[in-house]
Amino acid sequence: MHLTKVLELFPDRSVTQMLFKEVKNAAELRQSAVEGEISGALINPAMLVDPFQVLIAANKAVHLQTIGKMKTRSLYSEIIFNLSPTNKISEAFKRFGISDGDDVVMVVVVHNKDDLQHLSDITTRVDGRQIPVEDVSSLSDIEKIKKLYKITPQEEKCGSLLDAVVCRMATKDVM
Amino acid sequence: MALPDFLSKDKLIKQGAEARVYRAEFLGKPAIVKERFPKRYRHPALDEKLTHRRTTQEVRSILRCRKAGISVPVVYFVDYTSHCIFLEEITGSLTVSDYIASIQQCKEQELLRLAEQVGQILAKMHDEDVIHGDLTTSNMLLRCSTVDIHQTDLVLIDFGLSYISALPEDKGVDLYVLEKAFLSTHPNTEVLFRKLLEGYAASSKKSPAVIKKLDEVRLRGRKRSMVG
Ligand SMILES: Nc1ncnc2c1ncn2[C@@H]1O[C@H](COP(=O)(O)OP(=O)(O)OP(=O)(O)O)[C@@H](O)[C@H]1O
Ligand SMILES: [Mg+2]
Repeated sequence: MHLTKVLELFPDRSVTQMLFKEVKNAAELRQSAVEGEISGALINPAMLVDPFQVLIAANKAVHLQTIGKMKTRSLYSEIIFNLSPTNKISEAFKRFGISDGDDVVMVVVVHNKDDLQHLSDITTRVDGRQIPVEDVSSLSDIEKIKKLYKITPQEEKCGSLLDAVVCRMATKDVM
Repeated sequence: MALPDFLSKDKLIKQGAEARVYRAEFLGKPAIVKERFPKRYRHPALDEKLTHRRTTQEVRSILRCRKAGISVPVVYFVDYTSHCIFLEEITGSLTVSDYIASIQQCKEQELLRLAEQVGQILAKMHDEDVIHGDLTTSNMLLRCSTVDIHQTDLVLIDFGLSYISALPEDKGVDLYVLEKAFLSTHPNTEVLFRKLLEGYAASSKKSPAVIKKLDEVRLRGRKRSMVG
């Protein structure tokens, strides 16, 4: 169901993605995340094209944390910030974070290779049904994504939507 | 930092004067890592500044080209501390240079078609005011379609010396640099390069001014070589 990937540049860190549907306690989860009780990023799946997009954001967050150059206060807020094409933190949270009424949630956790306790702690908190992470593509709001990242029709001729999104995320610091 | 471990020697595919290029898997995808290392002969502060500029220029031009629908590799990650760019690997590709060198004379038609294609993509790039700065046939990749071997896709790479300019002179010099490199790497290809320029001229409305500048730069080059 979940998807775990070791970060090649930080071999002792892994990123796990878990996707939930029919979630009934989004407001409570969001509150817990704000208070730091949940150590994970709670992401709105409608803004995700593919799990690879999350890996790109997580790798960049861990990198910036390692060199002490994060733009936000925690690793998890940094992941959400990295997903956004702009440098406005509040906007990133509005678009990529979850809202109280949401019923789908992508949970992203960065952990040590064999720290599985951490993961199960989070799964038990979510009142919802876990579905395969790969299904995130069926929840994407393609039109919204294209609009937010300002993807041009020409651009889609030379690559996929995922390519366009990832390229924006990776290059936003120098734009 | 794990980077030195990650970029091991076995992954090195090219050691250049300015950069090392590695092939590696990144977040599960085939990737190319371009690392710009410090140059000892330069003052450290100046070196850092130049290296940083090349890295940002490369990244900026790539995005600008992609937005205009010009095939260039996707940027996955940039480390501005170690000056590394992580790019999509164009798998199953070969450089235009290797392709031209490998092809038999009898396939002249294919070479002409390729030259025209190169002219077209460069016209498109110049129309976006991207000046490549290092146009050679090694900085163009040919991605062979798995579906149709006659359907090839050109991909531009190596934008470290690129910049933004709308001046026909800058575009003309860009083409002049390519002409020099082209004719010295591939002897007796004047016909081919002429076809490339035809492709360029036919695809850009702004081409007359650029070609005029190219002619001027050629003339200057010739005069200089007669004097020197
Ligand atoms: N995205 C890519 N996909 C596949 N192969 C690549 C890619 N980028 C580079 N290469 C290969 O690596 C070689 C060198 O890359 P590149 O031209 O970017 O660096 P360089 O020539 O060393 O840089 P410089 O010209 O600044 O010294 C290319 O000629 C090509 O064969
Ligand atoms: Mg090169």
